[in-house]
Amino acid sequence: MRKALSPAARKEQHWAWLMVAPTIIGLLVLNYYPLIQTFILSFSKTKTFGASTFNGINNYIEMFQSPEFWKATWNTILFCILTVPVGIILALLVAILLNAKVKFKSGFRAIYFLPMVCAPAAIAMVWRWMFNGEYGIINTVLGTKISWLTDSKTAIVACAIVAIWSSIGYDAVLLLSGLQNISKSYYEAARIDGASRVKQFFSITLPMISPTLFVTLIMRLMSSLKVYDLIYMMIDQSNPVLPDVQSLMYLFYREAFVAGNKGYASAIVIWTIFLIGIVTVIQFIGQKKWVNYDV
Amino acid sequence: MKHLKRTAVFLMAAAMALTVTACGNSGSGGGSSDGKLTMQIWDTAQRDAMQSLADAYHEENPDVTIEVQVTSWDEYWTKLEAAAGSGNLPDIFWMHTNQILLYADNDMLADVTDLYDDDTYSHYSDISIANTMGSDGRMYGVPKDKDTICLVYNKEMFDQAGVSYPDETWTWDDLTEASQKIYDATGKYGYMAYCDEQLGYWNFVYQNGGYILNDDKTAAGFDQQATIDAMKFYIGLQQNDWCPDQTYFAETAPGDAFFSGQGAMYMEGDWTLMDKMKNYPEMQGKWDVAVLPKCPSPASGDGRATISNGLCYATSAKNQDNETVMNFLKWLGSEEAQKLQSSYGTAISAYEGCEDEWVAAFDQFDYKLNVQACIDEFDYAVQSVNDATRPVWKSKVNDEMLKIYGGQVSVDEGLKNCNDIINQAIAEG
Repeated sequence: MRKALSPAARKEQHWAWLMVAPTIIGLLVLNYYPLIQTFILSFSKTKTFGASTFNGINNYIEMFQSPEFWKATWNTILFCILTVPVGIILALLVAILLNAKVKFKSGFRAIYFLPMVCAPAAIAMVWRWMFNGEYGIINTVLGTKISWLTDSKTAIVACAIVAIWSSIGYDAVLLLSGLQNISKSYYEAARIDGASRVKQFFSITLPMISPTLFVTLIMRLMSSLKVYDLIYMMIDQSNPVLPDVQSLMYLFYREAFVAGNKGYASAIVIWTIFLIGIVTVIQFIGQKKWVNYDV
Repeated sequence: MKHLKRTAVFLMAAAMALTVTACGNSGSGGGSSDGKLTMQIWDTAQRDAMQSLADAYHEENPDVTIEVQVTSWDEYWTKLEAAAGSGNLPDIFWMHTNQILLYADNDMLADVTDLYDDDTYSHYSDISIANTMGSDGRMYGVPKDKDTICLVYNKEMFDQAGVSYPDETWTWDDLTEASQKIYDATGKYGYMAYCDEQLGYWNFVYQNGGYILNDDKTAAGFDQQATIDAMKFYIGLQQNDWCPDQTYFAETAPGDAFFSGQGAMYMEGDWTLMDKMKNYPEMQGKWDVAVLPKCPSPASGDGRATISNGLCYATSAKNQDNETVMNFLKWLGSEEAQKLQSSYGTAISAYEGCEDEWVAAFDQFDYKLNVQACIDEFDYAVQSVNDATRPVWKSKVNDEMLKIYGGQVSVDEGLKNCNDIINQAIAEG
């Protein structure tokens, strides 16, 4: 049964609303209003300078019939497959190392976090030079002659490598905070019982960190599904492999701002939201099997 | 607790005040009655020239101040379209032939056909005037500059291969022969032919007597034999050992390749030459420019052509009766302002007779670049291709061209697709 609020409590509640109002108003104006507009726009045929006419589901029909669109969807999924598992595992590894007793620990933490602080444009610029097929350092070191960024097979791998590199630091810091919440007494008890380090990791660390791991995983998957800036910086629009690399958001950018086809572009956005929704729902169902909240 | 509440109220009030001022700021963006004008441009290299114009005008009219704002090319058009849609265009902005018809035909720009009482516009070439016109034949901008495309070559590589420098007698055959000889002698690339329209295949198409769009802009010309032949020649250049393929250019711009000594020739717009001289001081004296080679056996015409584009200064249709803006526009088209712009050596002013100022700007260097070649080319300049649907088909045609270069479609099929893309865009208007 709901208890009626006392006048004082109700007054308190008003204040609560007032306090969160700036954030809520910001969300409504900056996030939800554009979201609704995008949804409406996806059913419109847009002309230049903001004019548009209702177009039914034609944008979606056109989209689902476009091979370019399906290619971009696959590219996006492939990008997730390439970046998320490897990225998370490496981040966990780094977090565990940073949690151990090593010298210059804070120095290492800073180094691993550094990519997060760098401007993505600068990162992409440097990596582009490193990946350059003619003069790049990567080919020089490996002794290979691979056109990393202009070969349709390697371009997305190259992008994935940069994505993993730039996300490890942030993910590791998140996971590190999870690791530091694990009480030392568990490990002491395990050691007394004679459990090996590997056994300790799988029986204590992994279950205990699983909630943090889950959050990291969800965030990383979402941002990978929305990947745009990195690929945009790495792969020029004059690059012939663009169709084999462009993500949904890159396709969206090109349709909306290069071709000026904002209605169609909005349909791509709605599809991406749908895709992210599905993936997230699957994860929330799947988490029951492996995420451990009993601490 | 009470104290906390008071603080909260104060913070809220402050936040609201901030929002109000923020609105106030954006609202005054379009206003110009206070004598403060904004001028939006996209080329950093021309910032100094534009700033000098702003300063010179301010000196003559102390109550008008012009702020020059530079935005990168890609962002410029995204921003400008949004600004036009919401009615917040900058006071003065550059207009490009790619976009002017779109803006003019949608009534976004002020008509400046009758800006002058005198014959100022008679000092501009027909191409310059045409570059400012909307589909209705009215002028929607004051001509700013005019340009040509020239051949840039590395003198050292020519010397090593024992090939004489390019000059006005050169044909496409000389271009390919010299490239082969240079490649054989030095191992460096010859002429670097990459996928580009204004700085690439358009020139070859018009030299061969073909066209991209017909004269009344109702149909594409990729189905014309002269166009197809020229396109095949140009695209086919990458089949040679002496020319890098398109994947190379995806990583390395031809200008970068040239100035790092990887190739002997490429085509460049005259407006970037000043920048190249300044940015590559160690290369001064090692390279020069020449007119474009001509087509040896054109389907029609004399085989000579260079694409000539030109920008203009435009303002919003809302400013049609705004005297402050209109007077500044008027001044920008004057001989005084145009000469001043030319003297910076970046863009050649559209006003006829400012060419010498532009050429003279290069006297500051020890090595005298043959920039006169760029001026000579105006004799056979062709207006840069544009129509109202160009923003629609430009990127699509480029994607198709990349497919041709990448071998995903045959040249014939790809060119047919290009033709269809443009014709469809025209049909949908």
